[in-house]
Amino acid sequence: MEGAGENAPESSSSAPGSEESARDPQVPPPEEESGDCARSLEAVPKKLCGYLSKFGGKGPIRGWKSRWFFYDERKCQLYYSRTAQDANPLDSIDLSSAVFDCKADAEEGIFEIKTPSRVITLKAATKQAMLYWLQQLQMKRWEFHNSPPAPPATPDAALAGNGPVLHLELGQEEAELEEFLCPVKTPPGLVGVTAALQPFPALQNISLKHLGTEIQNTMHNIRGNKQAQGTGHEPPGEDSPQSGEPQREGQPSASDASTPGREPEDSPKPAPKSSLTINFAQKAKRQNNTFPFFSEGITRNRTAQEKVAALEQQVLMLTKELKSQKELVKILHKALEAAQQEKRASSAYLAAAEDKDRLELVRHKVRQIAELGRRVEALEQERESLAHTASLREQQVQELQQHVQLLMDKNHAKQQVICKLSEKVTQDFRHPPDQSPLRPDAANRDFLSQQEKIEHLKDDMEAYRTQNRFLNSEIHQVTKIWRKVAEKEKALLTKCAYLQARNCQVESKYLAGLRRLQEALGDEASECSELLRQLVQEALQWEAGEASSDSMELSPISEYDEYGFLTVPDYEVEDLKLLAKIQALEVRSHHLLGLEAVDRPLRERWAALGDLVPSAELKQLLRAGVPREHRPRVWKWLVHLRVQHLHTPGCYQELLSRGQAREHPAARQIELDLNRTFPNNKHFTCATSSFPDKLRRVLLAFSWQNPTIGYCQGLNRLAAIALLVLEEEESAFWCLVAIVETIMPADYYCNTLTASQVDQRVLQDLLSEKLPRLMAHLGQHHVDLSLVTFNWFLVVFADSLISNILLRVWDAFLYEGTKVVFRYALAIFKYNEKEILRLQNGLEIYQYLRFFTKTISNSRKLMNIAFNDMNPFRMKQLRQLRMVHRERLEAELRELEQLKAEYLERRASRRRAVSEGCASEDEVEGEA
Amino acid sequence: MMAIRELKVCLLGDTGVGKSSIVCRFVQDHFDHNISPTIGASFMTKTVPCGNELHKFLIWDTAGQERFHSLAPMYYRGSAAAVIVYDITKQDSFYTLKKWVKELKEHGPENIVMAIAGNKCDLSDIREVPLKDAKEYAESIGAIVVETSAKNAINIEELFQGISRQIPPLDPHENGNNGIIKVEKPTTQASRRCC
Repeated sequence: MEGAGENAPESSSSAPGSEESARDPQVPPPEEESGDCARSLEAVPKKLCGYLSKFGGKGPIRGWKSRWFFYDERKCQLYYSRTAQDANPLDSIDLSSAVFDCKADAEEGIFEIKTPSRVITLKAATKQAMLYWLQQLQMKRWEFHNSPPAPPATPDAALAGNGPVLHLELGQEEAELEEFLCPVKTPPGLVGVTAALQPFPALQNISLKHLGTEIQNTMHNIRGNKQAQGTGHEPPGEDSPQSGEPQREGQPSASDASTPGREPEDSPKPAPKSSLTINFAQKAKRQNNTFPFFSEGITRNRTAQEKVAALEQQVLMLTKELKSQKELVKILHKALEAAQQEKRASSAYLAAAEDKDRLELVRHKVRQIAELGRRVEALEQERESLAHTASLREQQVQELQQHVQLLMDKNHAKQQVICKLSEKVTQDFRHPPDQSPLRPDAANRDFLSQQEKIEHLKDDMEAYRTQNRFLNSEIHQVTKIWRKVAEKEKALLTKCAYLQARNCQVESKYLAGLRRLQEALGDEASECSELLRQLVQEALQWEAGEASSDSMELSPISEYDEYGFLTVPDYEVEDLKLLAKIQALEVRSHHLLGLEAVDRPLRERWAALGDLVPSAELKQLLRAGVPREHRPRVWKWLVHLRVQHLHTPGCYQELLSRGQAREHPAARQIELDLNRTFPNNKHFTCATSSFPDKLRRVLLAFSWQNPTIGYCQGLNRLAAIALLVLEEEESAFWCLVAIVETIMPADYYCNTLTASQVDQRVLQDLLSEKLPRLMAHLGQHHVDLSLVTFNWFLVVFADSLISNILLRVWDAFLYEGTKVVFRYALAIFKYNEKEILRLQNGLEIYQYLRFFTKTISNSRKLMNIAFNDMNPFRMKQLRQLRMVHRERLEAELRELEQLKAEYLERRASRRRAVSEGCASEDEVEGEA
Repeated sequence: MMAIRELKVCLLGDTGVGKSSIVCRFVQDHFDHNISPTIGASFMTKTVPCGNELHKFLIWDTAGQERFHSLAPMYYRGSAAAVIVYDITKQDSFYTLKKWVKELKEHGPENIVMAIAGNKCDLSDIREVPLKDAKEYAESIGAIVVETSAKNAINIEELFQGISRQIPPLDPHENGNNGIIKVEKPTTQASRRCC
């Protein structure tokens, strides 16, 4: 490097001189290079200008901003504006007192200008550009500091010691002119005026244009030379500089020599450096042929790339020059030719001996001239037309240029936008938090908070998961505990129920004992009976209180049973109250005892039972009773089995609408009985219950369904039971139809109740057969059982049995038919046979029979009697008995009718006789 | 010791006139608006003193609906007295009463004491049967007549007291077919026979 640097001045010694020689005399135009350069650089490289990014702004809008910087020579101030086109600068930086700085650790291209008042941070696009700027600024500052002495005076004082500087000042114009090359070599398009709008190519255009001017100038010179020296044609570009070179040889060499020497010293002062650069630039201009050296000199400060670029540039320049020189040579050849022609013509003219010849010659010439004049004219015209087309072209070109300009503007604007955007993007990327605090910060903060939230949520989730796991285990534990407790509770309840049952039994036995004592003592021992009465009273009261408290706490049996019937019959008669209590207690004990042992297996069997199909097993199950949850389904099925031949869709609705259109004669009776149906059942006594209305519709529909029966008292009970179980009124209606029309014999509910009366006689026969002892006892006391049992058959025990037994009877009854009624009627007597046999008075027996059905509490026992003890019980026998008794009854009825008729006849005849004897009506009646 | 005479009394009358309510009031001194309609019959007893006797009424309450009439003979057979009830607010029930009277005259025990009770006299503002008509009719058949209200306990006791008075005093020469049943001597009539 150093070698190259040292070599440079020597080899380039010829070049600078030539320019200085051309300049020194201060002769205006005929300078080839300085002239065209000056013109081309007027707008361009003279100025130090270009885009830089300035770091500035306040608070949140701090950031890098692209600014157009340009240097003002006169004030030594660096101005900057937003764009190159802006008329007024935004601000200025006083370079005179500024210090420049660039930091290694900073970003590429960042440098600082520190003035006493402030620090400006700037950023060039590349490191190269930054270095360029720094150098230039240093140089400018240096220039400013050195310029104050009047420029014209300095040239002579140049020898005073700061040679290079002096030299600079002398060749200031030249130096500046050479600056033109610097921007070309240094970051292309980044600095200089062209950077504002037109990048590099514009420069080339300009210089090409200049070549044309150069040629013209050369032509001018040649002519001048020719006129001066005749036909001397040497290339003027090479001639004249070289001729002047030696004169100034010393000065540039001196300056050159001084600079390399200083360089190694690495002086911190900017001045020598800048001068050095300028020197190199000068050298480059001066010696076109010494590229290597020049470039080598350059490489001291520039990179290899730069060097190549410079070389290429140089080659380009030289090629251009060569071309222009060749053209010049051509032009000179032409000029020479013309001159020779002229010379030849003149010599011919001179050679002509005679005047005539001369005249001829002249004439010839004149003709020639005229010819030429014409041609000139034609050419003129041609030229004009050409000029015209040229102007047109020019216009076109202008238009195109304008267009190009427009496009360029657009492009520029777009580029700017892109620049800004990309700048922003990079800023955002590089310094998200502090550099662009507005949106990115917000977004960032948002993002961060989101992330934080997510973290929180994750935490929460984990916590919840743990919690969930814990709670699951907790639930598991608690469930286990609960199950255990429930089991215990159940066991306790069972035990309790058992104990309660036992207690009930003991109590009932006690009460029964009291009752018997009371009866036995009668009126005899008044003291004893008084005591007894007291005991009974106490027992009644105490029990009532206990029962109520019991039922509140433990017992599942409330005042009403599951179908809404009162559990304790409401007997008003004092002596029966005791019995009612006893009975209720017994029912309860049986219920409690039966819960575990009987009901559960039954429930399981029912649950296991699939579709309902008539079978022996089903028959057994039905006899044992259907669990409540299955009863509606089972009854529906049973009813359907019986009425499917009668059942038509919409039938019930049709019957109802018929009832609405016209009042059935039975409607009044139905209405009368409606509120009197099951006064011991809450579903029929409650004012808000829907059951009475349902019942009315069912009964009315039935009265239309079967007009021969219409309504018979007792049907209300049947329908009510059906409603209580099935709930749905249409089902209840069909249940009623099934009982009346398919299960019961015909005429059971008709006007004469014939079949019912027949059944009473059948029952007498059956009782005589199955329970002969009892029947003998009853006969002895003249007790007519039909007074009691008639009701049983007509309403299928609805008034007689407690509901849980009643419904079991019905379960079997709906499946097996009237046989079941007989079986149970017999069973009821068998169940209470001993009690009845004990009674020795017809009145007592009647009294006992009035309520004894309700005292039956052990449904299993009753069922066993009905279906086991009463066997064999054949339908054939029943049918036969019915037939026999029907015939007998009908015969009796006929007999009765006959008797009636006879009586009426007798009475009529007697009345006739009496009327003759004027007897009173009373007497007649009495006699009758 | 006072003698106890057992008197079989049956209640007859149209449906819903209040037969059971009268019995309930008399026996239990209790009234329920909705007593279940009687099917067949219901049996109750009540003992009331009458003179130097105790009358134990064996009361057979019957079903009112007409189709149960065929069962009535079972109940009025052997009765010392019959209480025939009508509803003063229902003319129809008075016609039914007349039918019952006729039937008793034709098929009832001889010397049966008939008492006519015009029930629901608490509803006299909607009365359909004038007391006069009832009195005239009762007179014509030699029956006692009284308007009652089981609901308000009007004339219920009086009704049975009237019956008690109509029962002839215990006669040592009684023939035993006048409907008076003695405890010691129950009738040997076959209960099953239908008239």
